[in-house]
Amino acid sequence: MTHVSIKKLTKIYPGSTEPSLDNLSIEIESGSLTALLGPSGCGKTTTMKMIAGLLSQTSGDVTFDNISILNEKPENRGVVMVFQNHLLFPYMNVLDNIGFGLKMRNVDKEEIHQRVIEMLELVKLPKLEKRMPKELSGGQQQRVALARALIVQPKVLLLDEPLSNLDAHLRFEMRDLIRNLQQSMGITTIFVTHDQEEAVVLADKVALILDGKLKQYDEPDVFYKRPIDEATARFFGGQNFINGASKNGLFESSVGKFKIPEICMKGKGILTFRPENIQISNSKSTLNSVKAKIIEKIFLGTQTRLKLSIDSEIIQVIANPNEVENTETGVEIFINFPPSSLWVMPK
Amino acid sequence: MSDRTKILLLLAPALSIIIILFFGGLFAGLLRSFNYMPIIGLTEPNFEAYISVFKSKEFYLSFILTFHIAFTSTVISAILAIGSALLLRRNFLGKSVINFLFQINLTVPHLVGAIGILYLFSQSGSFARLAAEWGMIARPAEFPELVFDPYAIGIILQYVWKEIPFIGVIVLANMQSLGEDYESVARSLGANRWQAFRYVLLPLIFPGVLSASVIVFAFTFGAYEIPAILGANYPAALPVLAYRKYTDVDLAARPEAMAMAIVIAILSAVMIFYYLRYTRKKIRG
Repeated sequence: MTHVSIKKLTKIYPGSTEPSLDNLSIEIESGSLTALLGPSGCGKTTTMKMIAGLLSQTSGDVTFDNISILNEKPENRGVVMVFQNHLLFPYMNVLDNIGFGLKMRNVDKEEIHQRVIEMLELVKLPKLEKRMPKELSGGQQQRVALARALIVQPKVLLLDEPLSNLDAHLRFEMRDLIRNLQQSMGITTIFVTHDQEEAVVLADKVALILDGKLKQYDEPDVFYKRPIDEATARFFGGQNFINGASKNGLFESSVGKFKIPEICMKGKGILTFRPENIQISNSKSTLNSVKAKIIEKIFLGTQTRLKLSIDSEIIQVIANPNEVENTETGVEIFINFPPSSLWVMPK
Repeated sequence: MSDRTKILLLLAPALSIIIILFFGGLFAGLLRSFNYMPIIGLTEPNFEAYISVFKSKEFYLSFILTFHIAFTSTVISAILAIGSALLLRRNFLGKSVINFLFQINLTVPHLVGAIGILYLFSQSGSFARLAAEWGMIARPAEFPELVFDPYAIGIILQYVWKEIPFIGVIVLANMQSLGEDYESVARSLGANRWQAFRYVLLPLIFPGVLSASVIVFAFTFGAYEIPAILGANYPAALPVLAYRKYTDVDLAARPEAMAMAIVIAILSAVMIFYYLRYTRKKIRG
């Protein structure tokens, strides 16, 4: 169990003036699973490589249990990184691939064999030790890569886009496997992903990095309920943004006044709400209720997506198909905004 | 016309050259090595030429020398080429200039290189004269014997100079296509720099190194001109010995020259086979 502290970590690549990673600071609790989330090129993998010692930092520090690891060689840090494309050594069979880390530590051949067999059971690939990597499916290769990392019992496990090369059904299986193994072994794990759903499902905490800067570091649900700004809200699928100003627990905008939670910021801001949190009714309720016109209705199977206009504002709502079965495009309906589902972000 | 016929017709000019010149020459040489030369009245094939070759002490000395030249040149070139490729794959100031200089002697013919070695390293060459000038030796003739020497140092020097960029370019391209991720995996799994090179990078670049070094070995084992220019008179490298026999005023020596040429080809093939088998096992084992 290792507590990881990343302090003002910055990376400027030679020949560049803009930092690829700019003053990243996060505290990662022992035994937790943390996601570094962001689009391609935002600095996630750069961060991982600096933690692993595969890339030198321009400034900043990384500590494990309050001891800086930046002067340690990669092989002495106790960090193992699993790469996106598995990178199994193609000329070694599964046994030798998984046992590689132990061989580098001069572990006895018999013991390596024994531990590899145990590890194969753990990642649900029994009796595949003689297979060559090219004889394995993508999902099996990913499991072998994971087993190869876990067998050396690292202090910190780094997973670079662990699910991105897998088919949808394998992704679900692998997700569960990673989560179960991480929890049973208690290894502090950091994984990189560009998929917000993956981050939310797997991680205890998520660090959203955009353009090399940390936007928000919080528990997954906070990104939906209380995004720090519009870019963060949009990254997590936010679609509704209304300009206005908040004062005394009310948000005033061109489309009306809305009661908002007390903890919301004061002054000029942007009101946001999730499309799935809006309630539809045929009559006006007493609180946070406005009339809206349906301008588009798309049936998505388990839900219906409505595009509504409230004066000049366009908002998106996701409704239960039964709820809006008899409504058509052009019809006016009432929508209610539960105060707890509203959030105000700085402009 | 079927696709197959079309392809065969298109390949016909190239194939006929290969078949007539290579296999034709090989077949003619094989016939002559069995003492079959109707032009000088030898019409009964036999193994006399081979028996004579294998009874000759000179042949064995030449074989040892030729093997020494080919093996040493190949191993030194391969090691230095890998080292150079490891340096050249890094980013540093002036990399493109160094890269250009590294590859430039690929364009220089072997013969020109050999004359350069002669001018620089022989006992009457530039280095010998400079050493005498600077008082390091009394006379140029005291300069170490690096050309026409029994250890074939001049020949090996020439081959190494010429073959490092040949192997190096192949290995460098190989390394660049691999990237550094495999080594990064190895490092994060606990391998130090040497272990990451030995157990991961080397086996990955090995097919490229192997192919290039087999070409170098085969070439240096069978090449005539460099040992002829830079080699000692006795023992001579096998191709030089075979050529001498071939150009002997006595036409009856030709079957022996052909037998020697066939033996060179077979030995070269056998050694390459065992080299491939041994190194594959050793590196990947």
